[in-house]
Amino acid sequence: MQLSTSEISELIKSRLENFSTTAEARTQGTVISVTDGIVRIHGLSNVMAGEMIEFPGNTYGLALNLERDSVGAVVLGDYEHITEGDVCKCTGRILEVPVGPELIGRVVNALGQPIDGKGPVKTKLTDKIEKVAPGVIARKSVSQPVQTGLKSVDSMVPVGRGQRELIIGDRQTGKTAVAVDAIINQKGQNMTCIYVAIGQKASTIANVVRKLEENGAMAYTIVVAASASDSAALQFLAPYSGCTMGEYFRDRGEDALIVYDDLTKQAIAYRQISLLLRRPPGREAYPGDVFYIHSRLLERAARVNEEYVEKFTNGKVKGKTGSLTALPVIETAAGDVSAFVPTNVISITDGQIFLETDLFNAGIRPAINAGISVSRVGGAAQTKVIKKLGGGVRLALAQYRELAAFAQFASDLDEATRKQLDRGRMFTELMKQAQYAPLSVSNMAITLFAANKGYFDDVPTNKVLAVEGKLHGFIASKYKALADAIETSKDLSGDNEKALDAAIQDFKATTAY
Amino acid sequence: MAEISTIARPYAVAAYKLAKEKKALAKWSEMLSFATAVVNDVNMQAYIQDPKVVSADLEAAFLKVCGDKLNEHGQNLIKVLVEYGRLSILPAITEAFEALKALEEGTLEAQIIASAKPSAAETKDLVKRLEAKFGKKIEATVSVDPEMIGGFKIIVGDTVIDASVKGQLQNLAYSLSA
Repeated sequence: MQLSTSEISELIKSRLENFSTTAEARTQGTVISVTDGIVRIHGLSNVMAGEMIEFPGNTYGLALNLERDSVGAVVLGDYEHITEGDVCKCTGRILEVPVGPELIGRVVNALGQPIDGKGPVKTKLTDKIEKVAPGVIARKSVSQPVQTGLKSVDSMVPVGRGQRELIIGDRQTGKTAVAVDAIINQKGQNMTCIYVAIGQKASTIANVVRKLEENGAMAYTIVVAASASDSAALQFLAPYSGCTMGEYFRDRGEDALIVYDDLTKQAIAYRQISLLLRRPPGREAYPGDVFYIHSRLLERAARVNEEYVEKFTNGKVKGKTGSLTALPVIETAAGDVSAFVPTNVISITDGQIFLETDLFNAGIRPAINAGISVSRVGGAAQTKVIKKLGGGVRLALAQYRELAAFAQFASDLDEATRKQLDRGRMFTELMKQAQYAPLSVSNMAITLFAANKGYFDDVPTNKVLAVEGKLHGFIASKYKALADAIETSKDLSGDNEKALDAAIQDFKATTAY
Repeated sequence: MAEISTIARPYAVAAYKLAKEKKALAKWSEMLSFATAVVNDVNMQAYIQDPKVVSADLEAAFLKVCGDKLNEHGQNLIKVLVEYGRLSILPAITEAFEALKALEEGTLEAQIIASAKPSAAETKDLVKRLEAKFGKKIEATVSVDPEMIGGFKIIVGDTVIDASVKGQLQNLAYSLSA
């Protein structure tokens, strides 16, 4: 960090100017014990639940357990220098993090402090990390799409602005890849993205940040990182910090997308804190309120109506709705979705994208299981053209799954069944997509249109993706106006449909594959 | 500390209720402070913690040391404490008892730590202001600590009013390093 001397002096000057010398009455207490970041304090008779407590050495803690003779607090950050007998004080404040557009492009920790070495974040505002979600009156139903750029997601499990769509699957099934692709595709979509990394390896986080930078996604993304080496308290708080940063945009009539990667680790961190605070353990040793930590977090992802935004901004922003879309990630063990935390989060969210190891290993990537992946509200928000063309995909894949068992008797099957199997195979192949290569709405529409019309039926399965790529290139170069018309209208008019049909026939006639 | 005061509370409440019933708060206060002094004695400490001493011997020895300073009820408290192996928490019981007594009497103990000894008028004025702030009678003890540099610090229970130069310098150091 490079700072000129004048800057430092200015800083000190402003602090000296604002320093108040009045004596203030503060409640204080004495540290009784320090155990793995959990501090027991005697005294502090007026402390509030969730209040910040000041320890010596410029360290802060969070009061979590208010008992008759003691207060249980969790230290935010290093706790090695706190010893028995240390005096600590109440601050009268609830934990806050900096918010605002100044955070965009930065990597910060759970307290909003920059950790990317790019100097201080000059935010003007701070906000509480624990807030109550907007009520029923303030909400509006989800009706605008979030384009993830993934064919399989946008056509089969569409996500709307303000929706909570869970990404669930075993380790190494591409959960983060789906989330990161969704972020990368938000370029130019008026969407601010927040990626909250919880309990991941610092190297993994660095890789994600680098990929976001390479794809130009850091220009509209905030990364909140609580790595595996950060204290459990910070890992527990990181999602709430990220959510508060996202709410800033939601409340001002903008759209934001937040990825919690992943909430399993947050639950584990909370379990550690709870057990050290000696709260009674329940199922899988999680405390009784593990459902509530996720429900109160995900409830804050919402679409708010114009009146709410107008009221919040004191009339500065009129006639705009705001949204915070959440993509929480849950890691399952051996595909067990009936474990405690996965069932909880499945029941809270508005649908899930289920990723499977078998599919992943079979080369189907993204490894989305189309049968059990659902979106409960996204259908209403789906782009018109994708909705029109994507209906066939689900059906073809469902029929394919039903018949897949008979696939080995290929020679004995009747013509209709064989055709369905071929079609299913083609659609399965077509739903594959490379990482960091999200598709635009027009390209997706072209692919789905060609597949529905049977233009891929005579293409060998292993060449489907190559042909799809060539088709996109062909239309982009020869029929650019048509592609642009679909992209801007997000719909396929009768004329455009005919033109697209003709364009694909032109492609089939002129291109070898 | 917290655990000890939790254990001590029911004993203190029981003693306090009994003392109030018998209108012997002063006597109880005296008994408890005497017994506490006995418990705090180094030799007695070693004796209480000695695992070879059986409780009957401990009880007899303790009561003998206390002699006629304890009335029948006071002796019973010692017997109960010995029976439950809680004799060592007697100081905490006394503390809790005194706190209950102060609450009843509407007094608060205030510790005034000043850089230089305040005059009687100043102390009186300070106590008067504190009484107005807390709405209770203040029993102030004044001590002098030159490390305060200037001003004073008042500790009333958990509340600390720091008007010392030392405290303000510390605050300044925090705000500059934050």
